[in-house]
Amino acid sequence: MTDPGHGLDPLLDEAPCGFVSFVDDGTLRAINRTLRDILGYDENELAGKRVESLLAVGSRIFYQTHFFPLLRLHGRVDEVFLLLQTKHGDDIAVLANAARRERNGEWLTSCVVIQLVERRKFEDALLAAKRLAEEARASADMHRHDVEKANEMLELQAMELEVSHQQLLEQATELERQRLIADEANQAKSSFLAMMSHELRTPLNAIGGYVQLLEMGVHGPVNEAQLDALGRVTRSQRHLLRLINNILNLARIEAGHVDYDLRVLFLRDIMQATLPMIEPQLAARRLQYRSNVPAELSVLADREKVEQILLNLLSNASKFTPADGIVSVEAAMDPLNGDRVLLAVKDTGVGIANDQLENVFAPFVQVDVSPTKRAEGTGLGLAISRDLARGMGGDLWAASEVGAGSTFTLALPRA
Amino acid sequence: MDDAVRSRNNVKVIGRGTRPMLFAHGFGCDQNMWRYITAAFENDYKLVLFDFVGSGKSDLAAYDAERYSSLEGYAQDVLDVCHALDLRDVIFVGHSVSGMVGVLAANQEPERFANLILIGPSPRYINDPPYVGGFERADIEGLLETMEKNYIGWANFLAPAIMKNPERPELGAELTESFCSTDPVIARNFAKATFFADNRPDLSAVRVPTLIMQCSDDMIAPLDVGDYLRDTIAGSTLAVLAATGHCPHMSHPEETIRVMRAYLATQ
Repeated sequence: MTDPGHGLDPLLDEAPCGFVSFVDDGTLRAINRTLRDILGYDENELAGKRVESLLAVGSRIFYQTHFFPLLRLHGRVDEVFLLLQTKHGDDIAVLANAARRERNGEWLTSCVVIQLVERRKFEDALLAAKRLAEEARASADMHRHDVEKANEMLELQAMELEVSHQQLLEQATELERQRLIADEANQAKSSFLAMMSHELRTPLNAIGGYVQLLEMGVHGPVNEAQLDALGRVTRSQRHLLRLINNILNLARIEAGHVDYDLRVLFLRDIMQATLPMIEPQLAARRLQYRSNVPAELSVLADREKVEQILLNLLSNASKFTPADGIVSVEAAMDPLNGDRVLLAVKDTGVGIANDQLENVFAPFVQVDVSPTKRAEGTGLGLAISRDLARGMGGDLWAASEVGAGSTFTLALPRA
Repeated sequence: MDDAVRSRNNVKVIGRGTRPMLFAHGFGCDQNMWRYITAAFENDYKLVLFDFVGSGKSDLAAYDAERYSSLEGYAQDVLDVCHALDLRDVIFVGHSVSGMVGVLAANQEPERFANLILIGPSPRYINDPPYVGGFERADIEGLLETMEKNYIGWANFLAPAIMKNPERPELGAELTESFCSTDPVIARNFAKATFFADNRPDLSAVRVPTLIMQCSDDMIAPLDVGDYLRDTIAGSTLAVLAATGHCPHMSHPEETIRVMRAYLATQ
């Protein structure tokens, strides 16, 4: 094997570009001094070597898979980027042009290489920019995909919401329809009660009147037994009449047929006016009565209605408090709401269980105080009282503890 | 379907024989690479040449990045061509990566193939001690870089620009043909599918008589690889050529033809 550097024209040997020639199996035929210097080889070192040995490994594969087939098929290769490898293992980027021609009976490829230094930097920058652009596009595609997916989900949710909305609208319509029916039913009930109460009151009053005439002996003498019987008829007639009056009141309140005559009232005045009506009951049950109602406390309310409420509360208190108990009335400004005055009626009676507290305000309900004893009354008093209190812009509520007594608090707007 | 595959894979059929000899090109090129040896077989065989989808004059629109991300996708191309032309008793000739593509195809439909002739095959290019493949991962990264540098200048930037010059259409055509794979993304995927593959587990399943043609000095498929293949493929024959390099059918066509004929004569 001859020395590949041997016999080259001095012009080619020193030319400002690398030159190398080789045969089809890659065996070097010539290499000029410029290329030897670039690669760091001495004059005789490359004898018998193959052109791939001058290339970095990646470029060797490229040579075999692209460069050589192209050379073989087209006879030439232009402007191919290759990485050469120096004797010491460093990479040198070059641009190569090659042509394959027959010379002296063998196919010889001549190849010129030019080092890429500055140009390689531009290319690297260009490639980096291209890669960035591709990544940005991929990222944008991914984001667009995410956004599209999110959008699809939102559209789905919007559809679901629309369906829910429709269902809610239908429910609202249905509820409104049922409310109207209920309102009508309630009106009908109130009208019915008002009418019935009136129809019942007339004969009851007639019964009361004729019993009174009998008692007075208008229709002839009456003996003791007959008088006793007439007394029972009278008591029953009165009880029924009271019940019917209450029903009528409640029906009127619920039907909105009650007018309130709101005036400035001093609570102590009202207490003083109400007390005589309840005193016989308190005395009969040997109950102590205590009162702490400051003289200056005034409310804006309907006097008759407030008296009715107080009478109901005091009557209940005396009814459910055992002998020798205490019934007290206290009034004060609402500590939590400066626009209200609170009036509390307390007793030391049997008390009401917590879960029953609200029930006492329901019409026709009387909380059981003992299985064997039922207090007398219609069960409408507290329902009417609360409706009246609310009708005046106030409220009525209860607090209690079984065995320790109850407190009913009436709240009314301050004057 | 048959016509679709024919045009998709740019299938060409030549020769005056009846027994099919199917040529599969390697990475980086197309069916043109066979032009120096096909003439020798034209009288006796029906020669079927084709381009893998993504290479040569195949239909680039049929390229599916997922299908061709592994060699199985390329093996399916081989089988598609066999089905489309109803090829049986096939002598499969595959260069380089197509060696393993042929192995995968023959493992799927062994009854279709009479022989496998593998030129410069390798079941794995990356070393995996004690297995010697010849390369490290970084070497393959170097190849990808070299490819990128070249495709950027050719197909990707210049060719489309020149193609837009209607007064000189021949320029674009010439440039795009000069690199067998014109799309840089496809070429990169093919390179990865090729050089990062490990088909060693597929070799023991080969039931088709196989000729391994190994060049005496091939940096892409070193001698160790040829020995490994012969030892692992049952009933295979290893022929070490005097030819050097990786493309003996282009650099040393006479020897290549001689060895192929000699082998086929024994079958």
